[in-house]
Amino acid sequence: MPFMKGREPIRRTLKYLNEGKLVLKDNVRIFSVCYNTYGNHHSGARDLVFWNIPQIQFRNPDVQVVTLKNIAPSPFVRCFFEDGRDMIIDIDSKNRDEIVEHLINVVGKTRKQLVAEARLAESKDNPANFGYGCERHCICEIPGQMSCPGTVPLPEDVRGKFKFAAK
Amino acid sequence: MAARGLLLMGQCMPCIKHNASKIRIRRMELDKNLNMYFKKDTFYFAHDPQKLCKTGDVVLIRELPERMTRLITHSVEKVVYPLGDITDPITGKKVVVGKYREDIEMANQLFGKSDKAFDYEKAPPRGRLEGTKDFTHGETYIKYHEDGTEQPFAV
Repeated sequence: MPFMKGREPIRRTLKYLNEGKLVLKDNVRIFSVCYNTYGNHHSGARDLVFWNIPQIQFRNPDVQVVTLKNIAPSPFVRCFFEDGRDMIIDIDSKNRDEIVEHLINVVGKTRKQLVAEARLAESKDNPANFGYGCERHCICEIPGQMSCPGTVPLPEDVRGKFKFAAK
Repeated sequence: MAARGLLLMGQCMPCIKHNASKIRIRRMELDKNLNMYFKKDTFYFAHDPQKLCKTGDVVLIRELPERMTRLITHSVEKVVYPLGDITDPITGKKVVVGKYREDIEMANQLFGKSDKAFDYEKAPPRGRLEGTKDFTHGETYIKYHEDGTEQPFAV
């Protein structure tokens, strides 16, 4: 089994993409990173774009993630909110991990919020439902209900062809 | 899902419409087989009666509550980075790619400035050569017919 193609193909695995810690708040519409392709103080920003941008876009499919190169001497992250206001975060000479942590603190949802949202998503399924994707496939599995007509024929007084047959 | 198009950031493209500008929005689309994001361009027409944005500017557009014409669906809210005249949002100073303009001027003072060099203070706002040497404001096409008239936008 050969290795995956490309530079650092682990970035292309679903497991890696789902592990993104930065889930942006609901009113963030645009997340833009401006960095240069040269300069040591931009290396943290470059690493952020290389490793974390796919994770951010995966966990926030409704947010427009934009990268702009070679605009300004120092790198920054600019988030635009619903009402048009923007927030500038300076990421000059910062490590990739420090930047992500700072972003989670400032524009990200907290872990508690994420856990609560995950719990809400689970409990929407009504345990009383049957069928595909539910806990029980058919009502015949419950003790006290009629057995499945697929295995045992139903009694004649509930079958239409006998009930309405010529008397 | 209605939240997708509300506020977007894109680059202004050449457009001949009078009240509108064509904006290119670069979105990232996930390729399901490779699990990799690729850039995908979408073009929107944004209402811009005063022609705030010129070709190449990075602008912020907002979806109109109800579309103006069949094609004009958004309106230009703010020009974020005008082409050639970018202000560094952290310091507030004017920049040229990776350097501050004042640093360039300081270096020019030390080394001597050429007469033909571009002077940022004395230069008029963008659009002076539109029509004579700058043809970025309209879409170009391959020349298909010579009819004697001047066709500046024909390639």
